[in-house]
Amino acid sequence: MKKSTEILIIGGGATGCGVLFDLAQRGFKCILVERGALSMGTSGRFHGLLHSGGRYAVNDFDAAVECIEENNILRKVIPHCIEDTGGLFVSVPGDPLDFTDKFYFGCKQAGIPVEEIAIAEALRREPLLNPGITRAFTVPDGSVETWEACRTLTESAAEFGAETLVYHEIVDILKSQGKVTGAVAKNTVTGETVTIEADMVVSAAGAWGGQIAHMAGCEVTVYAGKGTMIAMNYRMVNTVVNRCIHPHDGDIIVPIGSVAVIGTTSVKVSDPDNYAIEDWEIKLMLDEGEKLIPTFKKFRALRAWAGVRPLYQDKSAGSDLRDVTRKYTLLDHNSRDGVDGFVTITGGKWTTYRLMAEHTADLVCKKLNVTRPGKTATTVLKNPHKDFAGQYFTLGQRLEKLEKGELSGQLICECEIVTRPQIEHHLAHNDWNIINDLRRDLRLGMGPCQGGFCTYRAAGIMHQHKQLSATQTNKALVDFLQALVDFLQERWKGMSTVLWGQHLRQMQLDEGIYVGLLGLDKLPTELSGTNQPRLGEIETEGYYEIGH
Amino acid sequence: MNYDTVIIGAGLAGLTTACHLAQAKQKVALMSTGIGSLVLASGCIDVLGFQPAASQQPVINPAKQLGAFLTEQPEHPYHHLGQAKIEASLGAFLELVEGYEGSFDKNWLLPSTAGAVHPTCLAPKALAQGELSQGGSMLIVGFKELRDFYPSLISHNLNAQNLGVQSEAITIDAPPPLRERMNITPIELAHAFEQAEFRQQIVTEIRDKVKNCNRVGFPAVLGLQQHATVLADLERQLGRTVFEISTLPPSVPGRRLFEQLRHYFLQHGGRLTIGSKVVDGTIESGRVSQIRIETASRLQAIKAQNYILATGSIFGGGLQTDNEGRVWEAVFNLPIEHETNRHAWFDKGFLAPQGQPVARYGVQVNDRFNPVNSQTEPLATNLHAVGGLLANSVWTQGRTGDGVAVATAWRVRELLG
Repeated sequence: MKKSTEILIIGGGATGCGVLFDLAQRGFKCILVERGALSMGTSGRFHGLLHSGGRYAVNDFDAAVECIEENNILRKVIPHCIEDTGGLFVSVPGDPLDFTDKFYFGCKQAGIPVEEIAIAEALRREPLLNPGITRAFTVPDGSVETWEACRTLTESAAEFGAETLVYHEIVDILKSQGKVTGAVAKNTVTGETVTIEADMVVSAAGAWGGQIAHMAGCEVTVYAGKGTMIAMNYRMVNTVVNRCIHPHDGDIIVPIGSVAVIGTTSVKVSDPDNYAIEDWEIKLMLDEGEKLIPTFKKFRALRAWAGVRPLYQDKSAGSDLRDVTRKYTLLDHNSRDGVDGFVTITGGKWTTYRLMAEHTADLVCKKLNVTRPGKTATTVLKNPHKDFAGQYFTLGQRLEKLEKGELSGQLICECEIVTRPQIEHHLAHNDWNIINDLRRDLRLGMGPCQGGFCTYRAAGIMHQHKQLSATQTNKALVDFLQALVDFLQERWKGMSTVLWGQHLRQMQLDEGIYVGLLGLDKLPTELSGTNQPRLGEIETEGYYEIGH
Repeated sequence: MNYDTVIIGAGLAGLTTACHLAQAKQKVALMSTGIGSLVLASGCIDVLGFQPAASQQPVINPAKQLGAFLTEQPEHPYHHLGQAKIEASLGAFLELVEGYEGSFDKNWLLPSTAGAVHPTCLAPKALAQGELSQGGSMLIVGFKELRDFYPSLISHNLNAQNLGVQSEAITIDAPPPLRERMNITPIELAHAFEQAEFRQQIVTEIRDKVKNCNRVGFPAVLGLQQHATVLADLERQLGRTVFEISTLPPSVPGRRLFEQLRHYFLQHGGRLTIGSKVVDGTIESGRVSQIRIETASRLQAIKAQNYILATGSIFGGGLQTDNEGRVWEAVFNLPIEHETNRHAWFDKGFLAPQGQPVARYGVQVNDRFNPVNSQTEPLATNLHAVGGLLANSVWTQGRTGDGVAVATAWRVRELLG
């Protein structure tokens, strides 16, 4: 298949989606290509923090300024993706006290509204906080719903005619006379390839940016900085809680949805697709969590994940990744490498995705010699969920609707309150039989049982809805079962690092269901699939971090 | 009060032991935190379903394959029992319950909740009638209101495996009063099936569809107490063999089995205490002197001649684990051999053919099922461990969990009765 466009954007994380929307709004014909689902790389594997900039106020002043400016803008333009939790920076006993003054003045200087509050007030707001804290400051941190944001951006871009291709992996960058002229993408579900001709290619592939640049004949060094985090099955704080110290492992707890996420570690890994979560990371997170919330370890750890921060450096990075700036990098490969028609945007963090997109689009305009100013800082995006217009989604909203009888149909995922009509609506608008997409779209399987009951139910509904039995082909069934096994395996990867106590019992119940009752492991090999690459899923163990 | 035997745990192993000992005229008490795990299981007795354990081919004759299985699994608790005792235990189990069918030398091959083949040794009649090797055509009926059963998925899988059956699926609305009640459980549906009018409406709805098939399969919801009547009535009205297929938990056949065993135990003079957690036990000079249970106001000591630990594995609550990598037995703190590095507890794959290593952990016993120390000396001669709590009893390995429960229960009755 062949397609042609003005701008081809590679990468469906927050940055890529932001670039797509920005350029589409400026009137360019655009296509975005993402190898997995939207926000499946680093953007979907962080702790969901919308930075106030306080984290960078001492060490990385420019990043701090960018954060607070973007924080203010994003609250206005994607309000339904942001929960205004507010943030606290607290010192626990033993933390160096000289840092707190530096922090306070750093925030002031960067324009971050910071205020010191009484310890009693901090404890009133967050009763589970360590009562021994010595100082407490408020900052405007928040939490973000990354899948919602990326979906909103691509859907808004579609209104300007932009196209988004998910489950398409770039296999080649096309060049002609030293200029990039497009790329070849392979559909990871069907195996078909599509050639996309473009006037300009923007790589927003984050930690994978080096690989894409290499295909275009440019050498870009992007280090993958692995960070591990744990979702605890309880929203033990309603405010983002930060340790008021130099950026450190496990110094942030972010309330998001029905959980609280603690993060993160920072370890350089050589391959952004292949890294493991180590036991020391889990132990460290729990120990550090305990310092902020003394009952931290008593809550159930639900799932751990890791993602890779894209850390761009022209020269070799030092051993401490936290010294690398979290500012982003925009490369024009014509001036840098003599390769025209190709731009790389990398580094940065989720909070600054819009700014990164705007600067990228400015560069694209400049290179194409046109003047089209960006408007994303003032364009409020439509909330695709009309039910909850303008509001940040919370589980309580679904619960309220359910209790009032306004949420019709069967309750399929009890933990996250997902109904059958919601699933059917999703299936009607998506071609792929990928249960993980249901998770990202609806939060199916994200609760304490981690898909124990709802995975079978969702699979059954999917099977019925897509009328797979009507085709009676083994291929369709094999693909379908593989999708089911993949989803369970994906949940397993996240769970197995934090299994002990009650959560381990929960896992054994899930095992009882899928092995004992369903016999999934005993479906004949030609049905239960092989060890071939997973259907429509790319094997990664990563997460992403909005930054440190 | 003094008992001959106190049993801790109301799963398959605990209840079966309790019934056998009560039948042998012992004064027996059974203490349990909750109603046990039977309502989460299929209600069938799997003794040996796969050999080698990782094989995809179901075992047809478990008695014949047992030797090879024991060779493959040198530490499995079946080694303490042997073929004859396992066989005897199945016969003894059939004496306790009504409506179960099967024997050690033949597995039923039944459709699973996903349409895979579920080999099992003893099954309630309604499930056994789903035997796949009989061939022919079957209609699988589901209900829109029941979210825990998907007939088209089951049927599609059965057909694709070329098992010699042709199946068709149909999903209908549940008749009133359940119609449009979108979140009903299998238990609610089972109660509804006990109403003649409810059944009548289902029969009317599917009668035309049934004409072209030999058998009709329903989710396992065909009545609770009046299950036999419900089954017979549906068969009479439809003029076809009717069978059940397991659903997600709660399991109606599991609940029926629980009720049957509970009833048998009480009829034979047993004392059943559900809802009082056993918190600890004391071992003095090689004997258990007492256990203590939680009651409303205090811990109460219970004394008996013999004590049976049927608390299950990690899932059942018999073993406890924590994030430091510790594993301990919940009542007596019996020694449990285990890795302290939690990474060693799990395989990379959820559906690992060798099962999860953590499932091997458990209490080591001698041939009398007394827990032993690392020198294989008994820790208490009047304490016996049965069922899932035993070390190296990985139920996914060959699907032997129910067999271990039933056979160790019978063996302990022999030793104590």
